[in-house]
Amino acid sequence: MDFLITFLNGLSLGGIYAMIALGYTMVYGIAKMLNFAHGDIIMVGGYTILVFLWINPIVAIIASVIFCMLMGIVIEKVAYKPLRGASPLAVLITAIGVSYLLQSIAQMAFGSAPKFVVIADLGTLKIGEIAIGYSTIITLACSAVIMVGLNLFVKFSKTGRAMIAVSEDKGAAQLMGINVNNIIMITFAIGSALAALASLFFLLKAPTMTPTFGALPGIKAFTAAVIGGIGSIPGAMVGGLLLGVIECFAQAVPAIAPYTDAIEFSILIIILLVKPTGLLGKKRREKV
Amino acid sequence: MKLSTKILSLALALVMIVCAISLTSCNGEDHPAADNEKIKIGLTGPLTGGASIYGIAVKNAAQLAVDEINAAGGLDGIQFELVMYDDKHDATTVETLYAKLYEEGMQASLGTVTTKPGLEFKTFAKEDNVFFLTPSATGDAIPEFANGYQMCFADSNQGTAAAKFFNENYAGKKIGVFYKSDDEYSVGIYNNFKANLDKSFGDISATTASFTGEASTFDSQIQLLKDCEVVFMPIYYTPASQFMTQAMNVDNSIAIYYGCDGFDGIDAIEGFDINTVKQEVSYLSHFNSTATEGPAAEFIAKYNDKYDEEREPLNQFGAAAYDCVYAIYEAMKTAKANGKEIDANISADELCEILKEVFNSDSFTFRGITGKTEGNEKSTISWSADGTVQKEAIKYIVKEASN
Repeated sequence: MDFLITFLNGLSLGGIYAMIALGYTMVYGIAKMLNFAHGDIIMVGGYTILVFLWINPIVAIIASVIFCMLMGIVIEKVAYKPLRGASPLAVLITAIGVSYLLQSIAQMAFGSAPKFVVIADLGTLKIGEIAIGYSTIITLACSAVIMVGLNLFVKFSKTGRAMIAVSEDKGAAQLMGINVNNIIMITFAIGSALAALASLFFLLKAPTMTPTFGALPGIKAFTAAVIGGIGSIPGAMVGGLLLGVIECFAQAVPAIAPYTDAIEFSILIIILLVKPTGLLGKKRREKV
Repeated sequence: MKLSTKILSLALALVMIVCAISLTSCNGEDHPAADNEKIKIGLTGPLTGGASIYGIAVKNAAQLAVDEINAAGGLDGIQFELVMYDDKHDATTVETLYAKLYEEGMQASLGTVTTKPGLEFKTFAKEDNVFFLTPSATGDAIPEFANGYQMCFADSNQGTAAAKFFNENYAGKKIGVFYKSDDEYSVGIYNNFKANLDKSFGDISATTASFTGEASTFDSQIQLLKDCEVVFMPIYYTPASQFMTQAMNVDNSIAIYYGCDGFDGIDAIEGFDINTVKQEVSYLSHFNSTATEGPAAEFIAKYNDKYDEEREPLNQFGAAAYDCVYAIYEAMKTAKANGKEIDANISADELCEILKEVFNSDSFTFRGITGKTEGNEKSTISWSADGTVQKEAIKYIVKEASN
């Protein structure tokens, strides 16, 4: 029974990682940059929920998604757009700078002490011997719906197909009449909205928020995105779920629990050694 | 270039040259503190990042003590000055920060706020022979060298004390441990706890859960510990409160959460109502941050008067820092009474020898606000020759079990 519970917990944690990993992978696929400030958008989402919680949980969630989308767009316009075409290193350092900026602003606004953000007391579902929190079930269900929805959106909607086009060849896409700037903006908005939802599911599981909250899930999700093959949407999902399940099982065994992070990152190294493009990453042939 | 800009840059260049000259002349002296007008007490601690609640409380409380001492006339007219830099709880920052403090004329120190940076700090302080009394770096190795002292209980003392308490009070119960495996503080206490625990508890390794980093979801750990009656948690209060909250959603037989001094402040987390936890929550500590009477309460009132209670909450780290400043001050007074010369530009090395002699002498006891206080009497605190503190611990029940 414990095995099943741990597996479900792992899947739901993995679902959250996958949601964040999608943000990394989409931005990488389309804008060809690593947005290291993405993890901190989770934290922004968490504090936004905290600010609006007094009205109503639903309002707070919607406000958090909208605010994070705007935040993502503003960050892209102010920090990244002027650097389009600059060396990847400059963009990377800028992203790290944005990450520190967001953390510092949050610390100034909310203080560094942890804040409890109790959105709702959901209780526990019991079927025979299995007792599992509703928060886990909701996270699982929502992440499944989001992932399927995002896949359909990218494959079949006009905007989604424009995103694929931009990720394959920016220049050619532009020549075909696609507004690349708009597509990049939409990508940031979707990624940030997913980060806001990730913060919601984190808070349902563990209701505490600190200014540095986003750092670790951000790194874990980035690892998940690379394991799955950065730039690949199904890859981010597989990587996220894999990482979540591994984390929960590692922590469930006292003897290896202290090495959980080491195990996760070792898996990243092994996968990159065997398959440098990640599990579902595409091989790109270099034309000479 | 406009004329005004030219003049401005010329002026700035002049300022830089003057600064450079004055700096070199300063370095020419025997020791960096030669020009001090006040006795400089330096330290590092996390003022930003995840551990900043501890560093900020230390900074505020130490400043409060310095201000009080200065207002009362200082050390026969010599004023004190506190200099604290942000180490972000990151050991790699310490080398630069220590050098900066030393070059600016630090004469005595409060070391570091947390253990990891403290392990670096102590080696540099040893080289220059700088006296330090840390408020809260609990690592066993912190007072390893003769110039290092602690105001807090060392990890091994806390682990041993907790094991003793378990042996005496929880015999026959099924116990579990929840610790942070990448934290010196937590691992140190856990190892000593395990070593001193009675054999009758059996092998506790099967009910020992751990986490690393700023983990926030503890599903697996709760599954592992849900059948225990007493859970020992040698961790800080943030993850502890998360564990307790998340465990509410799982059927468990836990009756008591028992922590160490890192639990101090667990009942003051904004938005977290400790009374929603059904279990008894208690810990072994040297300071009660919710005291309503006695010297501790007096200090708490002074702190909250000066600082924003909500954004920069007081905790035992702060209380210990307050005691540290006063202990160094009292030791200087004692040394002066014994005929030692102390002035504002005494070198760190000389001051270290003087302070060591006082702290190591059997007759020196300091009356502080941490440790066990009786009524309005302050606690008695003294130090062993190895730099560890001698004072009585308090078992503090945050809340009784409820239904």
